[in-house]
Amino acid sequence: MVQFFQQLINGVSIGSVYSLMAVGYSLVYSIMNFSNFAHGGVIMVGSYIGFYLLTSAKVPFPAALLGAAAGAGVLAIIVERIAYSPLRHRSAPFLYFIISAMGASMFIENFVVATIGPTFKTYPAVFSRWPIEIGPFYIGRIDVLIFVSAAMCLLGLVYFIDRTKLGKAVQATSFNHRAASLMGVNTGFVITLVFAIGGLLAGIAGVLFGMKYTVYPQMGAITIKSFIAAVFGGLGSLPGAVIGSLLLGIIETLVSGYFSSQYRDLISFTLLIAVLIFRPIGLMGKVTEEKA
Amino acid sequence: MLEVRDLHVFYGGIHALRGVSLKVEPGEIVTIIGANGAGKSTLLNAISAVVKRRSGTITLDGQPVASVPHAVVKQGICQVPEGRLVFANLTVRDNLMMGAYLRSDRAAIASDLEKVYTLFPRLKERINQLAGTLSGGEQQMLTIGRGLMSAPRIMLMDEPSLGLAPILVETIYEVIAEIRRRGTTILLVEQNAYKALAVADRAYVLEQGCITREGVAADLLHDEYIRQAYLGVKREKAGAGGRCGVE
Repeated sequence: MVQFFQQLINGVSIGSVYSLMAVGYSLVYSIMNFSNFAHGGVIMVGSYIGFYLLTSAKVPFPAALLGAAAGAGVLAIIVERIAYSPLRHRSAPFLYFIISAMGASMFIENFVVATIGPTFKTYPAVFSRWPIEIGPFYIGRIDVLIFVSAAMCLLGLVYFIDRTKLGKAVQATSFNHRAASLMGVNTGFVITLVFAIGGLLAGIAGVLFGMKYTVYPQMGAITIKSFIAAVFGGLGSLPGAVIGSLLLGIIETLVSGYFSSQYRDLISFTLLIAVLIFRPIGLMGKVTEEKA
Repeated sequence: MLEVRDLHVFYGGIHALRGVSLKVEPGEIVTIIGANGAGKSTLLNAISAVVKRRSGTITLDGQPVASVPHAVVKQGICQVPEGRLVFANLTVRDNLMMGAYLRSDRAAIASDLEKVYTLFPRLKERINQLAGTLSGGEQQMLTIGRGLMSAPRIMLMDEPSLGLAPILVETIYEVIAEIRRRGTTILLVEQNAYKALAVADRAYVLEQGCITREGVAADLLHDEYIRQAYLGVKREKAGAGGRCGVE
């Protein structure tokens, strides 16, 4: 029983990182209707920025976290401007966006390999590696940090989307660009904003992930997990992305804990396929078909 | 007030509007009637800058109308789009508030919201419902209400009666007359020529991208050609249709 709860705690921790990644992914999907595969590259660059801010610039941790978030946000905007915006203005087919996204993803990854190098880097110990003991359970300090930062970011995002005028404009634009623009919404600005938010969250996720594991140029591939989580929860749905991520994190750690970590990804992908077959809209997919 | 001069719009290779000119004076209801595909929606979308124009000028009180949609709304030109384009994922109240997106005068917004509710009591009963769950008629009321929330100087209405039951068409047209009485100028595009001509002051006939006739709405209601082509009145002797390019 103790082991089960211990795994659960670990699962929630990794699930929280997935959710930060999946939410940004889902947000872009909801407004642009395509999978932004460059998201992984943005996470990775955020992780590197955090790493260098801590090791070379030696700034305090909160500043490094914010710096990584800002840097990743800017990168996400640049990717949108260069890789997607020209396609958007030509009303290019959906497939072009995906190809452009893959190109951007490969470019970012190889750019980092070429400039920084392919080696793995380990974050300096910001916190004591000793876990916190609560009764029979051990909770890593980094896991607490991950959970708290992810929860704060997600609550902030929900507040923004549901409670602010601009957030409503994001929802309106995600439903229909033309109708939103006829209400006076600058949809180009809303799209830039959505990429920026996705990038901010990606930067934070990158730092947290880097601290828990390591930093390397291919770490963006982890977004495939957040992609699974987003599909699992329902692409385009923010609560769905969070729930899907937490479930995926928990399932993964339970599989690793009770069977073998070699089965972990096998199970995740089986889950993805099962969801796509039996419930393609995901757990909380957008069902906003008009009645008409 | 609103003036369109020699407007040309291309859709891909199709010459959708071929030199359209029209004028709307303050306080008027002007209607544009025409068959499906004549270019009526394109005309409204060109004014709203949702589609790009190839050439021609559009002015509001002598000032050029902007070339991006959100700036056009800011100038006081609001389009109520065809096909009840409500934000299905937002509540009725949020839909109406989206109409007031560019406004920040809270007191005036609140009072306009009340006015919309007096116009459409049905909407008030459903303020917290998601717009996607409304009936077709209610969605049309919502798009009109949403348009009014921008406090427009001129409202462009695209086929407000499309797909509605006759009794609802009646209601919508009463509302259109009421909106004008409250001081908003209206440019109305319709296939339902009879209803449109009955409510409008002046009318233009749009055929294959050209204005082929124009005049006082009441006169066009009795015009032989209009009666046969758009009002479904059968007569032995065919009247002459308008010719494109010759105004």
